[in-house]
Amino acid sequence: MRRRVALAGAGLVAALALVTFPIWSSEWESSRYATTVLRDMLVLGILALSLDLLVGTTGLPSLGHAAFFGAGAYAAAIAAQRLANDNLLIGLLVAMVVAASLALVIGIFAVRAAGIFFLMLTLAFAQMVFALAFQAVDLTGGSNGFAGVQRPRLFGLDFSAPDALFELVAVTFVLVVLLLWRVRTSTYGRALVGIRENERRMRALGYDTTRLKLSAFVLAGAVAGIGGALSGWSLRFVSTNDVGIGRSVEAFVSVLIGGSGTLLGPAIGATVVLFIERVLSSSIPFAETVLGVLFIVFVTAARQGIVGLLATAYSRVRR
Amino acid sequence: MIETRELRREFGGVRALDGVSVRIAPGERRAIIGPNGAGKTTFFNILTGELEPTSGQVLLAGEDVTGRPPHQLARRGIARMYQRNELFEPLRAIDNVALALGASLGPYRPFTAPPATTVSAAADLLDRVGLASRHDATARALSHGERRQLELALALAQRPRVLMLDEPTAGMSPAETAHIASLIASLERTLTIVIVEHDMDVVFRLADHITVLHEGRVLADGTPDAVRGDRTVNEVYLGKVVA
Amino acid sequence: MTPEVAVQQALNGISFGALLFILAAGLSLIFGMMDVVNLAHGAFYMLGAYVALAVVQRTGQFWLALIVAPLAVGALGLVLEPLLLRRLRGRHLDQVLLTIGLSLVIVDVIGLVAGREIRSLPFPAGLDRSVPVLGGDYPVYRLFVIGFGILLAALFSYVHRRSQLGALIRAGVDDAPMLAALGVDIDRVFAATFGVGAALAAIAGVVAAPVFGVFPGMDVDALIYSLIVVVVGGLGTLSGAMAGGMLVGPADTFGKVLFPQFALALIFAIVAFVLLLRPTGLLGRVRITR
Repeated sequence: MRRRVALAGAGLVAALALVTFPIWSSEWESSRYATTVLRDMLVLGILALSLDLLVGTTGLPSLGHAAFFGAGAYAAAIAAQRLANDNLLIGLLVAMVVAASLALVIGIFAVRAAGIFFLMLTLAFAQMVFALAFQAVDLTGGSNGFAGVQRPRLFGLDFSAPDALFELVAVTFVLVVLLLWRVRTSTYGRALVGIRENERRMRALGYDTTRLKLSAFVLAGAVAGIGGALSGWSLRFVSTNDVGIGRSVEAFVSVLIGGSGTLLGPAIGATVVLFIERVLSSSIPFAETVLGVLFIVFVTAARQGIVGLLATAYSRVRR
Repeated sequence: MIETRELRREFGGVRALDGVSVRIAPGERRAIIGPNGAGKTTFFNILTGELEPTSGQVLLAGEDVTGRPPHQLARRGIARMYQRNELFEPLRAIDNVALALGASLGPYRPFTAPPATTVSAAADLLDRVGLASRHDATARALSHGERRQLELALALAQRPRVLMLDEPTAGMSPAETAHIASLIASLERTLTIVIVEHDMDVVFRLADHITVLHEGRVLADGTPDAVRGDRTVNEVYLGKVVA
Repeated sequence: MTPEVAVQQALNGISFGALLFILAAGLSLIFGMMDVVNLAHGAFYMLGAYVALAVVQRTGQFWLALIVAPLAVGALGLVLEPLLLRRLRGRHLDQVLLTIGLSLVIVDVIGLVAGREIRSLPFPAGLDRSVPVLGGDYPVYRLFVIGFGILLAALFSYVHRRSQLGALIRAGVDDAPMLAALGVDIDRVFAATFGVGAALAAIAGVVAAPVFGVFPGMDVDALIYSLIVVVVGGLGTLSGAMAGGMLVGPADTFGKVLFPQFALALIFAIVAFVLLLRPTGLLGRVRITR
């Protein structure tokens, strides 16, 4: 019980520190570079966390998750433009609904496959979404992308300023973590874990595993859509990169390096990945190679990710 | 309770089941025996919905359930104990059983943790099958006999009408076998039990009625004494075992 | 669409299909033997094209490139399998993830060494003209691609059916552990399989380069198409790769010409349709969906 309170307290402190980052960092960070990088880490973190609901919790290795991220990004940006409405809630709602609907359509087919086949199908279907975004030039801007995305507002609060937008992203991140934590510990979440561990047994027990998997797929898609909306607002730009295989792989690599199946592992992985891609790449030209090698190392030697390594170290120390 | 009519199942060119018709009364203890390859597992898999028959019907309490998927049959009261354990390996024993209990509650509750009643019911069930001191052990960490007990607990957790036991004593020591046999014998008479077994002592101890399968067909079907005395059965199967 | 155009598009479709067959064959082979979906397949394809580019730049010889590229890439595959994949034997999903990592590294290294501009491979001398075909002029090179595809298919078929190697492959596709139990050096077989699969991808890269160009991102296109072809045609069988190629190739070509906006939806529809009707893909033996 005391451990729980301690953990909750630590979590609260961390969340507060995160959300107030622009304030306490403003002295040593006037260019806002660190804030921008951290913001993008959180956005990728949201995508990775949503992906891990599939990969880590349910055992569905999806390699096309960016399709929903990008769909959400496009949806929020296009809606704001077409509806001439920059309300935050409307933008988020549109992003979630579009992403979830896409996830439903793809999921109906994909969920009927398992393991490697599921991976292949999600990859193929996501690539079709990519091509669709590429071709629908009138709507999405095609290869040029959708520029000039308006940042949202909410009842007088304007999120245009960098710090304000960071707050939005940080608060959303914390809420997503809380949401996924609740889901993972609920009866629903445990059923998903059951499917991961032994789907045959779950079916024999009376669970409609296909429907459960589909619901997880849609939920994960919806959360990814939220991440996408935030991405569009952050970068003021949505492109086919947000919906393509590169982004999907980025998310998957984040999940694996950070620690699949853990609450914060995917977010930790996202910080590592984004650090390499953003910060490291400005110093060395072979950052992607480093990322690839790191990924290979983790797959072969540290499959449980950073969180796994920490857990092993912790249990060794306790002895 | 359960009735099959002319059940046939082919795999490629092989006839695993060739017209099996069986009637099991409610509350009966039915044993299905026969040499390896007789079609027992195929029969089992059809009754639990994991396999569809090539032809024939399966009726559960009068309702035609032929070809229905496993989760629907489970909902209609069929619970299964697998021959090779199907457990949730990294989960604790109590979590395994809680998951089984959760099936009837409906899993679409994304924000609520399992209620305390589920947890205590799981604990009771574990105690009942003899795993009282092993609630917190992971399924992986249990001994073979204990894993079979957990397997049985999962099936019982479904509060079934029909319990399908696939070689429940497989791989067990004599002591463990005796324990599981007593456990099964002590189950309520409202429960219909169908058991596939090779251990003849267990069969003759538990069964009210025995069906002998051979090469996909019913060779003999009657009381234990009748089957024990049946000459064909003795030649084909029992003759190899001390009767 | 005039008859001449129709004929040209049909030939385009068939030559694209032949290319897809060559491309997908390697993927299908690796999956059939090792139960691994090699997601670095596109990267090997790309590497083949870039190696060919280097050879042609140095020697001007396309045919030399067609030999060197698969040998080089095949050798790489031959080395990578024991180095990296072997320690993950039995962990199929992790092996697939590993190939993702490989793909990231290979593609980035190519970009670092060769730059990121769009390049192209010149047509080999003799094949850079057009010939009259049923009313219109048609590029000879594309006919070569069709012929090359047929040649490879015939070669594979012969090896598959008649040779000891083929018997080994057929047995391995059916039951690799059994093969190991029978005393076959499964390590060598797997390494060789991976090498051959990579080499086939490289051949496809070389053959496609004059038509489709050499550029960053070509690995993704190749990977996606090869996945679609094997899913539709059926995993693990050569005839599946052929069937898939011959369905997707013309469908894609005609789709892009007739209704470019929906060409993709057509492919999507084909994939979904095939999987719904035949969960193993047209000619495959492994179930992809339930």
